[in-house]
Amino acid sequence: MKMKDLKFWLKDFWTEYKKVKFGIVGFVFLIIFLLLMIFEPYIVPFSKASSRWRDITYWDDNPSGAPPVWTNWFSSKKSPESEKITKYQSEVIEGDLKFVNSTFEYDYKYDKAPLDIIFHGRGTGNMIMIVKMERPDGETFDLVQMPIQTDGGNDIRITLDKDSGAAAYDFAQKFENEENLQYVDKTSVKPLDIYFAQAKSDMLNKIEPLKGIYKFTVTTILLDQESSYEDPYMVVSGRVSGILGTDNSKRDIWSGVVAGVKWALLIGLLTAVIAVGIGVVYGVISAYYGGFVDSIMQRIFELFASTPLLPVLIVMSAVFKPSIWTMILMMCAFFWTGPVKTVRSMALQIKEETYIEASKAVGASNARLIFKHMVPILVPYSFASMALYVPSAIVYEATISLIGLGDATIVTWGQILHDALKGGAVLTGLWWWVVPPGIMIALMGMTFAFIGFAMDKILQPKLRTR
Amino acid sequence: MYWKYAAKRIFYGILMYIILIFIFSVLFNATNEATTKAQIEESLRGETTKMRNMDVQEVQKYMAERRAYKYHLYHLDQPIFQRIVWRTIDTITLNFGNSTNIKSAKGERDVWTIVSETIPRTILLFTTAMILELLLGVWLGLKKAQRAGGILDKSTSIATMVVYGMPRWWLGMIMIMFFAYQINIFPSGGLHTVPPPQGFAYFLDILYHMALPMLTLLIIDFWGTAYLTRNIVLGTLQEDFVMSARARGIPENKVLFGHTMRTSAPPIVTMALLSLLSSISGNILFEGIFSWPGMGNLYWIAIEQNDVPVLMGLLAITTALYIAGLVILDLIYGFLDPRIKVGGKA
Repeated sequence: MKMKDLKFWLKDFWTEYKKVKFGIVGFVFLIIFLLLMIFEPYIVPFSKASSRWRDITYWDDNPSGAPPVWTNWFSSKKSPESEKITKYQSEVIEGDLKFVNSTFEYDYKYDKAPLDIIFHGRGTGNMIMIVKMERPDGETFDLVQMPIQTDGGNDIRITLDKDSGAAAYDFAQKFENEENLQYVDKTSVKPLDIYFAQAKSDMLNKIEPLKGIYKFTVTTILLDQESSYEDPYMVVSGRVSGILGTDNSKRDIWSGVVAGVKWALLIGLLTAVIAVGIGVVYGVISAYYGGFVDSIMQRIFELFASTPLLPVLIVMSAVFKPSIWTMILMMCAFFWTGPVKTVRSMALQIKEETYIEASKAVGASNARLIFKHMVPILVPYSFASMALYVPSAIVYEATISLIGLGDATIVTWGQILHDALKGGAVLTGLWWWVVPPGIMIALMGMTFAFIGFAMDKILQPKLRTR
Repeated sequence: MYWKYAAKRIFYGILMYIILIFIFSVLFNATNEATTKAQIEESLRGETTKMRNMDVQEVQKYMAERRAYKYHLYHLDQPIFQRIVWRTIDTITLNFGNSTNIKSAKGERDVWTIVSETIPRTILLFTTAMILELLLGVWLGLKKAQRAGGILDKSTSIATMVVYGMPRWWLGMIMIMFFAYQINIFPSGGLHTVPPPQGFAYFLDILYHMALPMLTLLIIDFWGTAYLTRNIVLGTLQEDFVMSARARGIPENKVLFGHTMRTSAPPIVTMALLSLLSSISGNILFEGIFSWPGMGNLYWIAIEQNDVPVLMGLLAITTALYIAGLVILDLIYGFLDPRIKVGGKA
């Protein structure tokens, strides 16, 4: 096929394709998926999600098992959202000791206290860190006071939940009545609940939120000239987090789901293209040579076709522990049988066309006849069947991942679902962990089903008229 | 003539099975032998721990003798080709050996006993689901074909495409989450309540436990059946004999069920059986979600416990069932469509 022919054919195809409504829907979805893939680093809050999905430290600041942010719209008691506050007022006091003050403002307007507040910064040398808090009611008190020794600009992480010790209890003690204090155990007090509660009697028992602007001041006392403290930021670990919430291991599901798009597309398209390519060429060769070659090739085809695909793939994955590339190859090794039968019967018809006879008479080689004259005619059909193979490849990969045999170096939707199943998401009702990856698999499947069926609808009358 | 065709097809199926098992034996030879050797070492250790009154050399000599004996027993002392052939023969004669961890309900460790326990449960679930699906699907397909292009036809066709790439096990997870934990009207899994009730109540109890997995299978599969039935029936409805039947004034229902269905039956039956086969092979993980103690669940357990013998046994049995299904499919097809029986002259 020449370039000009191809262009003409594409244009022709597009005018026909536009008429099929669900084909357009599929096309639009495909564009959306491609956009998600291209703009992945810009639309996810955790841009290294794909490479550090299993790195626990990367996700440490997130709440565990938090619902999506938009669940707040449907609940009367608003939960604080996870957010990262990078805006701060800096103040440096030089002297014998250097003081670096960074003040963060947090606008608290929710009905529940956040799970944790975390302060980050890059530090070098010896320092003492003090975290102060100023509440909207004017109360000011020290939360954390700790010496830190670090080198080489390591990340310093202070969490109010773990590091603030007895500060919360001491604060509550000032207001709480004697009776309650007797019953409440010092260690059972949740610090964050107290920090964001109205200061009054009975505050340990019945927590009422105090809304307004909270000021957190991180004071770093640098003990010598070489020491430094830079780039501070504050993370609020809320009770709701991100577009799709977080899982048990604190991972942001939206980031994971978007990171899965490229793998799903890769697995689906690569498997479909290779498998259908092999299948079409195999079918044509089988039909073209006929006779002895044909029957041998058909026996081999039947052997592959009578293998139960998924069990074999699962056992092979369990035994060989494949990477994603090997898995794609393994799938191709069985998927190619799909189009063979149809292609062979179509090729048997094409073989009898007069132009094939003519080229034969001119002295064209077998390879030329097969690849130049027969395979191109089947290209439209192969595109349609490729589109229909994409979903099955994705589902097979997801199924193998679900059982825990996936490639552990990447993030796929199947693996997220595997983690969800193992993490008891079904049992505990963490629907935001189970629903989105599955919806994505289903949507991706639907996209290609729409495209495939639309192509089928256009191409079938042209090809299968007898 | 039909018997000759049937015999040929069955023989061919058996041959296919033997070749496939041989290929599996080649592929998984290294793993299988490593497992067998580990099992032999384990049993040797078990034998020698009781021998307190022998010195080290005697024990080692005894172990070497026993090891040689066992290697001979399992054909491990032979060249690689013979080993693979022996493995193939063992597999075909259902002699899968012992599992490494998993035990059957009675505590046996023979792989065939473990696997054979689960087969009826898998078949029970998927056959029941298939029969229901077929009834609903064919009915809906006929309705769709009658008014092709109508609202019902279009909307259900879109539903077909929507569920096209939806994993059954995922829908299963959602169904459990909703029906078993949110509104709590179905059990979350298992075959029956513990302890199982007696008599007729036992039967009802199994049905109750089967309801949710079956509903899930139905929701995903019957659109596809309906869609294919529609296409097949629609093709037949355009045939001349249907037109002539209508012209003769035969009632529409009789045309539909008498004339059209008779011709459309072979491909519909093929499709239904193929979907059952793909259920058995394609949905094996589905059972794991519902803790339905069938073969799929056993796959899951075998992989989690890394029980290679059970996995191999399962693979052999699944392959056997799959090929048997394909053979039965061809036999039924040949029975329904007399043209097939002639055979060989295509």
